[in-house]
Amino acid sequence: MSLARRKLLQLVGLLGVPTVFLLIFFFGPLLIMLVYSFLTPGLYGGVDWIFSHLNYGRILGWADTRYEKFDPVYIAIFLRSLKLAALTVLASLAVCYPAAFWISRMRPGMRDFAIFLVTLPFFVSLIVRLFAWVLILRPTGFLNQGLMGLGLTGGPIEFLYTDFAVILGMTYVFIPFMFLPLYGSIEKLDMAQIEASSDLGATRFQTFRKVILPATLPGIVGGSIITFIPALGNFIVPSVLGGAKVLMIGNLIEQQFLSARNWPFGSALAMLVMSAVLVLLIAQFRLAKKEAQS
Amino acid sequence: MTPFDTYPAGLLPAGSQDRTPMPSPLEIIDARKSFRTPEGGTMTALDGISLKLASAEFVTLLGPSGCGKTTLLRTISGFETLDAGEVLIDGSAVTQMPAHRRPVNTVFQRYALFGHMSVARNVGYALEIAGRDKREIRTRVGEMLELVGLAGMEKRSIQQLSGGQQQRVALARALAAKPKLLLLDEPLSALDKNLRQKMQQELKALQRELGIGFIFVTHDQEEALTMSDRIAVLAHGQIQQIGAPTELYQTPANLFTADFLGESNLLPVTVTSGRGCLPDGQSFATPHAPGEATLLLRPEALSVTPPDGHALSFTGTIRETYYTGTDHQIALETPAHGTMHALLRSGGALPCLGSEITLYAPAQGLHLIDEAAP
Ligand SMILES: Nc1ncnc2c1ncn2[C@@H]1O[C@H](COP(=O)(O)OP(=O)(O)OP(=O)(O)O)[C@@H](O)[C@H]1O
Ligand SMILES: [Mg+2]
Repeated sequence: MSLARRKLLQLVGLLGVPTVFLLIFFFGPLLIMLVYSFLTPGLYGGVDWIFSHLNYGRILGWADTRYEKFDPVYIAIFLRSLKLAALTVLASLAVCYPAAFWISRMRPGMRDFAIFLVTLPFFVSLIVRLFAWVLILRPTGFLNQGLMGLGLTGGPIEFLYTDFAVILGMTYVFIPFMFLPLYGSIEKLDMAQIEASSDLGATRFQTFRKVILPATLPGIVGGSIITFIPALGNFIVPSVLGGAKVLMIGNLIEQQFLSARNWPFGSALAMLVMSAVLVLLIAQFRLAKKEAQS
Repeated sequence: MTPFDTYPAGLLPAGSQDRTPMPSPLEIIDARKSFRTPEGGTMTALDGISLKLASAEFVTLLGPSGCGKTTLLRTISGFETLDAGEVLIDGSAVTQMPAHRRPVNTVFQRYALFGHMSVARNVGYALEIAGRDKREIRTRVGEMLELVGLAGMEKRSIQQLSGGQQQRVALARALAAKPKLLLLDEPLSALDKNLRQKMQQELKALQRELGIGFIFVTHDQEEALTMSDRIAVLAHGQIQQIGAPTELYQTPANLFTADFLGESNLLPVTVTSGRGCLPDGQSFATPHAPGEATLLLRPEALSVTPPDGHALSFTGTIRETYYTGTDHQIALETPAHGTMHALLRSGGALPCLGSEITLYAPAQGLHLIDEAAP
């Protein structure tokens, strides 16, 4: 047996099982969703195997029957979800960038401990952590009591069930997602390059813009994408901290599957989210390729 | 003699009175700096260093690892603040000036090139920062790359360069802003020997051509000797001696310098009324003040043939020989002075291991060091 063939066989042996596993359990469900989104909802839930494009029509504007009617609210909710996810990304960046910088300059022992602290929330149930935020944000919560105690506000402020609460909650949940890729690129930053920049006459701000930012861009892009994607489809944070007032596309999809029992429509909404994510990933891929070429 | 020297004082032509001397490119006055160590103690890195460049000199800071060379360089470039003392560049105090405003540039030890920028952007960085227009930057980058022998490499990425080429880019980048003074922190330590020697010559030539001061850090004594106008030997945060290479090599002021620069035989001497006496009874005339001192004999001062006139002689057994092509290096074990090192021109009779020979040194012009031998 030739060496090349042996290598190939080894590769197949090594990667075959995981590949098949991924194909079945990762792409399988996606495929099912894609197919369902073109079917007709069954009368009592489930699907009827009759082709229909009206699920997309309801979202995008061409459905006009008694049950399947176009409503601009879906697009509005989708756009709002994009906005909230983008703001979450920005907020996480604003918190994580300086934090990663700071932690990367700590003594090794302190540094490991700080990174452990960042990932610590993973050890507690998400729901529990979110209800802790309810206790903080609600009208009689710690935040309002503190503000009123200090005499800064007369009455309680509506924090809970606002966009603010949802962004705050999602930022809190996704901080580790943003932090780790950012930290990875910031830690690799060459301090000597920063000094060289300053030696060549750059102010701190110029050094940041021309040396630090470009060098950490991969971490920024990576962290942003990995935060944006789950934030866009999230339904737990908006349902706990946004209540009925701040609905995100994730809540809508959840409703279609669990209460409205309209699987094809839920699938169509999920495909909408999928396509947004795909567009984003393709854009990032192209950017990275262009970067590598220049 | 300038024509003005013939004028009586007070009758000098207008404008010639203020013949103020050119300001020194760099003056350091009693610089002190200590660091807090993680163990809680303090570590004195600079212990009262004063240094003044007479003109656009090539000055080398030479010393063992940890003696404060990098720290001294960083106080000049502005990355370290002094606990006490002053730094003047071109006659004006910059002690409080932040690094980015100082008219000095640095070639860093591991180059610290910007990996995400092309060669051209690296070299033009200082001008880009200063907001010069694109055409001017492009011309200057071209000139600088030509100067360091990398013409036409503008578009390359840093990763596509060899170590020696990266070194040249770092040099071009530091020179592009036309600094008043160039600081180089062991810039050649990562290069192989041949390239290193080539770069040594090029750097020296470049310094003459540009006419600016170079402060060059190294712990390689050979490098220091070949390149410098003056060498400052540092140890324990202090300048042990500063002077021209020949001065330091031939007449070191103390044992540290004698030992650190080149090979040396250091023999204890007792001086009484104009004569120096070696432990084995040999003596020679010396103007040195009476007391304990140390005689410095460089290995190449010893020879197998007795010189004319009075000579010191050392008889012993050859313990080691190394043939270097031009010379034989010999370790001679003498009963009176322990092991002595000699450098004999090859061509004569080959000294063989274990044989007994006598080496001679002329007894005139011997250099004595004011410290008792160790
Ligand atoms: N930031 C710092 N914190 C604490 N101690 C320091 C710091 N920088 C330097 N030192 C100490 O100061 C002393 C001088 O250091 P420096 O880097 O100037 O030595 P050097 O002569 O450049 O040595 P080398 O030839 O190894 O580069 C060393 O003992 C070093 O440990
Ligand atoms: Mg150093």
